Amino acid sequence: MDVSAFTPIIRTTRFSSSTIPTSPYLSNFTRTRKLKPHRHSLAPISSLSDPFVLQIAESLEDSLPSSPNLQKLRDFASESLLSTPWPSRKDEPFRFTDTSFIKQSDIIPVSSPPSLESLNNLSVFEASHLLNLTIIDGYVIDSLSQLSGLPDGVFVGSLSSINSTEITARVLEFLPVSEQGDLFLSLNGVGSPDLVVVYVPEGCKIEGLLHLRYVSSEGSDKNSRKLPVSNPRVLVVVEKGGEIGILEEFMGGDGDLSYWTNSVMEVVIGEEAKVGHSYIQNQSLSSAHIKWTSIRQEKSSSYELVEVSTGGKLSRHNMHVQQVGPDTTTGLSTFHLSGNDQTQDLHSKIVLDHPRGFSRQLHKCIVAHSLGQAVFDGNIKVNRYAQQTDAGQLTRSLILEPRATVNVKPNLQIIADDVKCSHGAAICDLEEDQLFYLQARGIDLKTARKALIVSFGAEVIDRFPSKDLRQKVELHVRKLLDPQVHVENSMRSFNLKRNL
Amino acid sequence: MALLHRFSCCSSPSSPPVISLTKSTSKSILFPISHLPRHRRFPQRFPSFRLTATLAAESPAGSVSGGGGGQPKLLLEVKDLTAVIAESGQKILNGVNLSIYEGEIHAIMGKNGSGKSTFAKVLVGHKDYEVTGGSVVFKGENLLEMEPEDRSLAGLFLSFQSPVEIPGVSNSDFLQMAYNARRRKLGLPELDPLQFYGYIMPKLEMVNIKADFLNRNVNEGFSGGEKKRNEILQLAVLGAELAILDEIDSGLDVDALRDVSKAVNALMTPTNSVLMITHYRQLLEFIKPTYIHIMDEGKISKTGDISIANILEKEGYKAMSTS
Repeated sequence: MDVSAFTPIIRTTRFSSSTIPTSPYLSNFTRTRKLKPHRHSLAPISSLSDPFVLQIAESLEDSLPSSPNLQKLRDFASESLLSTPWPSRKDEPFRFTDTSFIKQSDIIPVSSPPSLESLNNLSVFEASHLLNLTIIDGYVIDSLSQLSGLPDGVFVGSLSSINSTEITARVLEFLPVSEQGDLFLSLNGVGSPDLVVVYVPEGCKIEGLLHLRYVSSEGSDKNSRKLPVSNPRVLVVVEKGGEIGILEEFMGGDGDLSYWTNSVMEVVIGEEAKVGHSYIQNQSLSSAHIKWTSIRQEKSSSYELVEVSTGGKLSRHNMHVQQVGPDTTTGLSTFHLSGNDQTQDLHSKIVLDHPRGFSRQLHKCIVAHSLGQAVFDGNIKVNRYAQQTDAGQLTRSLILEPRATVNVKPNLQIIADDVKCSHGAAICDLEEDQLFYLQARGIDLKTARKALIVSFGAEVIDRFPSKDLRQKVELHVRKLLDPQVHVENSMRSFNLKRNL
Repeated sequence: MALLHRFSCCSSPSSPPVISLTKSTSKSILFPISHLPRHRRFPQRFPSFRLTATLAAESPAGSVSGGGGGQPKLLLEVKDLTAVIAESGQKILNGVNLSIYEGEIHAIMGKNGSGKSTFAKVLVGHKDYEVTGGSVVFKGENLLEMEPEDRSLAGLFLSFQSPVEIPGVSNSDFLQMAYNARRRKLGLPELDPLQFYGYIMPKLEMVNIKADFLNRNVNEGFSGGEKKRNEILQLAVLGAELAILDEIDSGLDVDALRDVSKAVNALMTPTNSVLMITHYRQLLEFIKPTYIHIMDEGKISKTGDISIANILEKEGYKAMSTS
């Protein structure tokens, strides 16, 4: 199935050749720029717009005070919302992903930072010695953050608290950086209360991980059909030769609450700079989690993503890597687990426009529930000038229950003629030979299956940059796959305490 | 009667026994306990058989002292075993007969495709094969009715010819999981990682492999030799009354072969046995068999001692099929 070298083959998908004017990807070209984004002026063009979308946009606008720095972003976003309808299954990017869970809910913007009282009730935190920044419902909470020890010139925090006009100006150059997006990216642009900035100056290498802890504290009962929405937004700018490792962790908050996290991270990686990105999504199983990660890679830069997503009723990660210079290195390793009645979706796109780019993508998913679903659409585009590109993509899915669903659509679009590209896709049950090997050593079938299921994800988990993180995520995945582990572990700690 | 039974495994019980017995007798004379050799003719009749068997295996002297008295027990008894490939229905075993007693070392040789490895896999319960007839009794129990994991827990171990790679499962987790399954079976408390570490270190030394081996994933990226060493490490950790070694000599250089053989010999006790499958005489120099069987077209066509291997080496399997 793997193809080690390609003579030029252009793989065109239905989506990329479509010319449906309502497609969000083309909306930038068809919209009329004259229309002012202000809500009072929306009425005349309502025939082009989706009333449901406008309603959300309006309520988001209403919920926020004005911010001069963010105005450009908000204008840009609300303008594109005018011509972007709510996605349906007829739109290729949402062909397999049903967003009706959000659409059928009453969407309420979270309009203020959490109260001190509710912060005290949060029990999600373990002690962290890492550099960390806590973002609750899109708002930076300084009292729960630990940023001392950052090197000079590095800034981590809210855009409004940058005290260097140079950094502010530099950061604003990149707003908005996303040329292409979708409805959710634009909604975030309109509804984000603040911009979290991570700025790494030239040549600065930050040791250890910067931990971004996202918490959704506003939530409603899962049967209430109410969906408080928050729009955290982070912009990372790493100047030439800089290095940083970022861990994004999306936590559940208390209980099995309903909420919608509509999060965006944009990363600008300068020449020869390096960014390691760890991403853990463990939100409530009654929540919607929509995430945009947009990467811009300059010459000789390197970007490595390791993702493990297990939470959310509807979880969608849009990953977009744009190469803006030659000799870049890109690694995407993702593991999705759909162990409940939930959808895990990864839509990734790597666009290579310059020579000698190197990219490796590994996507693995397990669907372990008969109502569970996993979706993967992995696009790699090797354009005319991207000669001597080496791009590899592999996706493997494990379906463990009858009626569980996996939809994968790996697609390579290659225009350059001197490239090395490979892709492979496999959907399978566990390997019989491996099971037998374990059984032949006296391990019963159930335990053997469990070990192999955990090991399936371990290939991705093992790529997290720290041992603590690997162990934490592995334990979490084990718990999800086997609720008994949880009991055993709590029993063990209980016994330990008793012995003490 | 016992003698008859023993040789019933030969499909053509003609001349070889006489030759082989004289040969083995002369060999046994090398050992200090000189009054024993004669008994080798009628092994299961005499309590002392077990001694000669272990001696022939060049096992450590310590095991000899432990073997005094008592009739050697029948460990494995295979009768008229037939099996087919589950998928295609192709016949692959056509009536195998074999009895293995405690303390014996048996070797099976034979052409490619004669059914040697299949026989080994059928014994451990591989699902690719379906047993269509005959019986297999291991330690008095019907082996064919047992699940693969229960066969292992009962004391049967197969060192695989091509061990499978298991990415994502570390060797130490795997070994600990398997060893604790065994301890559960024996009603012993399970070992935690630290205790297990203490248990496994001497075993690593025995097989001459480094401790970082444990951190690697099971067989992932292992060389041929490392895979075989890993199999023997598992044998050392788990222990087995009957160890089936399927071509442990393939892909090994001489040094590795010596290490592996040394470990196997060190694991031999008066109460456990080895069945090894090999193409080459060289292995038989390191691990000395009590009996050599020739397998041909899915059954054992000849049984004898090391002299069979000598004839094979000189004249090939042709000499076997015509005799």
